Amino acid sequence: MSQFISKKGLLSWLDKLAENHSLVAPTRVEGSILFRKIDSTEDIVFNFSNTNLSPKEFFLPPSETIFSVEKKDGQMNLIPEVIEGQTVIFGLRPCDAKGLATLDLPYLEEPGDALYSQHRNKTTLVGLSCLSACPECFCTSMGTGPDDPSNLDIILTEVEDGYIVQILNEKGKALLPEELLVMKDVATPPAPFVSPVPSRGITDKMRQAFDNPYWSRLADRCIHCNICSYICPTCYCFDVRDYTNKGRIDRVRSWESCQSPGFTKIAGGYDPRPDKGPRLRQRFAHKLIYFPEIFGTMHCTGCGRCVKTCPVNIDIREIIQDIQKLRSGKNA
Amino acid sequence: MNPSEEIAKKAKELLQSKAVECFIGYQRATDGMTARPLFAHAPEEADRLIFDQTCTHNLVKYLLNHKGKATGIAVKPCDSRAINLLLIEHQIERKNVFIIGVVCPGMVETSWNKTSEKVKDICKLCQQHTPVIYDFLVGEPGPEPQAEAYPDVAKLEALSPAERREFWEKHFSRCIRCYACRQVCPGCYCGECFVERLDPLWVGIRIAPSENEMWNSMRAFHLSGRCIGCNQCERVCPVNIPLSLLNRKLEKEALELFKFRAGIDAETPAPFATFKKDEKIGIGE
Amino acid sequence: MLENPLLPHLATLQDVVDLTPDVKLFKIELNDPGIRKSFEYKPGQFVFLSAFGTGEAPFGLTSVYYRHGPLEAAVRRIGTVTRSLHELEPGETVGVRGPFGNQFPLDEYRGKNIFIIGGGIGFAPLRPIITTILDHRNEYADLLILNGARTPQDLVFATEFDTWAASPRTWLELTVDAGDKSWTGRVALIPAVVKELNLSPDNAIAIICGPPIMIHFTLIELKKLGFADNQIVTTLESKMKCGLGKCARCNIGEKYICQDGPVFTMEQISQLIEKF
Repeated sequence: MSQFISKKGLLSWLDKLAENHSLVAPTRVEGSILFRKIDSTEDIVFNFSNTNLSPKEFFLPPSETIFSVEKKDGQMNLIPEVIEGQTVIFGLRPCDAKGLATLDLPYLEEPGDALYSQHRNKTTLVGLSCLSACPECFCTSMGTGPDDPSNLDIILTEVEDGYIVQILNEKGKALLPEELLVMKDVATPPAPFVSPVPSRGITDKMRQAFDNPYWSRLADRCIHCNICSYICPTCYCFDVRDYTNKGRIDRVRSWESCQSPGFTKIAGGYDPRPDKGPRLRQRFAHKLIYFPEIFGTMHCTGCGRCVKTCPVNIDIREIIQDIQKLRSGKNA
Repeated sequence: MNPSEEIAKKAKELLQSKAVECFIGYQRATDGMTARPLFAHAPEEADRLIFDQTCTHNLVKYLLNHKGKATGIAVKPCDSRAINLLLIEHQIERKNVFIIGVVCPGMVETSWNKTSEKVKDICKLCQQHTPVIYDFLVGEPGPEPQAEAYPDVAKLEALSPAERREFWEKHFSRCIRCYACRQVCPGCYCGECFVERLDPLWVGIRIAPSENEMWNSMRAFHLSGRCIGCNQCERVCPVNIPLSLLNRKLEKEALELFKFRAGIDAETPAPFATFKKDEKIGIGE
Repeated sequence: MLENPLLPHLATLQDVVDLTPDVKLFKIELNDPGIRKSFEYKPGQFVFLSAFGTGEAPFGLTSVYYRHGPLEAAVRRIGTVTRSLHELEPGETVGVRGPFGNQFPLDEYRGKNIFIIGGGIGFAPLRPIITTILDHRNEYADLLILNGARTPQDLVFATEFDTWAASPRTWLELTVDAGDKSWTGRVALIPAVVKELNLSPDNAIAIICGPPIMIHFTLIELKKLGFADNQIVTTLESKMKCGLGKCARCNIGEKYICQDGPVFTMEQISQLIEKF
């Protein structure tokens, strides 16, 4: 026996939530499926594998004002940005929930990032487990799985006519009243098979392969755009600059990528990482060596978006396989 | 021999004889059905070279990473126009590039792990099926199509200015400033792009609709009279912004105003890079 | 609600002193007396200074906390933020965040001979070490200060040279890459001076700071003289945006310069997986 909600019941619950929450859900936008604040539950897409961009944009937005500076009576006042209102994100996959749990590690570590932490506190996550695996994903090799409830507040699993509901914590309980659920004798569908990637021991292998010419050869085709970092649920590099708008100054932080050509260039023009090979290697070294060593978990959730979207097919699954096969030493 | 075999054979010869240090072509991607660039540094690596209707990438941009080195490259007709563009603008030297031109049947619609038989709409409008510059030709040249080339732009032009504004605002609001369009474009090679210039601030780092509009429209204007129509900008955009449409609008204007098509030869300079003292185009007359 | 660590403290420019044609010394007083008192920092640490309207950038602190004076930072005009800072006058408001980073372990240097080798603006983070040693002279053995620059006008802290040279068991050596009409001193690159001075590694610590190329060649000379990797200390710099280990930009291999640095021994640097 499982807790169950009908499709109709789900939609009516979401409609009610939208009255005093920002309801964010997957929706069709010009040929892409993106998480957006929706006005009507009719706009929600239910039949999708995953969104083009991860939901991290609701916790670390592409651009966000950190504070504003106002000058009044010769005095300067700093007005920190405050996040208002409650948000519900519906339709998160477990890989994206793991992405948020991964972002928590650098961002909530002392001193915690105030804006990210406010977004996290004011957002409830209602996830959808995956009934089938995408051809590009490999979540089970990155510490999560298609039905992993770990980092969600509520998780739904689609069955006939509705969803099996698991309320996972107090936050989830506060959002979904038990009266809306019924007990139903319905079997939980088996988790789909997800193709594995040999991630075990990759950190050590990556260390051994650090100076291998593999990286320069791989970087031959990298165009050094920012796509992989921006669509990734775990990437978090940012840039900061002030903007002036009619006398008011805003300090804004925006997404940036370690792949961007000017990423490490300092004023005066010196760049410690000017070549393509080390620059591309930095991405995978961060994901597979530095982040795991500092925080104890891979900096990748296996969502596969980078695999699907990279214009030149730089494929992290292929890289992990290649690195595992390299013999140690520079000349392998 | 099919095109893949012809290109592989020629590339292997070039590498073996050391006529080139590296050959840039296409290989199969990890999904087993689409293509990705291949950089063959040794003759045996040339065995992986392929050419088919999934080989949509414009490889010419990579020549800018290989300046001064003898490099071989496989190009489609649109890509070959990019080579002429870079030659006119003195970015590469003709003697350093061995060009294998391929007569192009048009690329099919592909995305990762998906391919089809359907030729891309943009390829259906193409008026150049034979490369305009090459050292070695693969395929049989045929007559070039004479059909009207800009029905997509005409549709845009039929909208009122207010409708056009709304159209572009809607699309640009989605831009995440990944700059994949710029990075993949052979015409975009400035050492410091205007968007990176912080002092004075042209656009800056903020990712928001008004800045996105500045970015996309200014990039299009920097390409006016220079865009060779390879469609890569639109292909790589992760949020499906119709960038080709914008560039083609400006391409149509350059054709109408100056009878000019970028990259057709390596001699005629681009209209916006040319100053002719005795030229009058209706200003001040 | 969590205090936002990206929010600067407001501070006022007390004084701006021209050190060289493109370097100014900023003396900054934090506005809030409570924050001023608790803003304890050690030699090696840095702050982010905000030129409101442009942005912020990291600068090494060149003053010492225990003297309870204004915060001092030497700023070279080289980019957008530094250009905006250079346009400010005393009395104007700046932002301060910090202090960030690790410090020179001066306790470990007690009783040792200290060789301080600085090039150009790189001398700024070394100045608080000199100040500390001179204020606690008997705790340290010999002190050699080697200050080099491209030209005589680019030598920083010239007004303090007499004070330094007058201190017991202290030697001041100056050098420039190119002299001018009035310069009667040494004209030589810093690595050549290190070689000429024939510094002994016995009971010694060499602290170097300057442009990467100067550090590279000075290092070679020090190694030839027999200095071990753990006797050579330097500060690394990089592009930074947060100082908190959150913008993932300033790493060299597995270490973040804003958290694990900027002070590193040569031994630590040689163990890094990435080589700049």
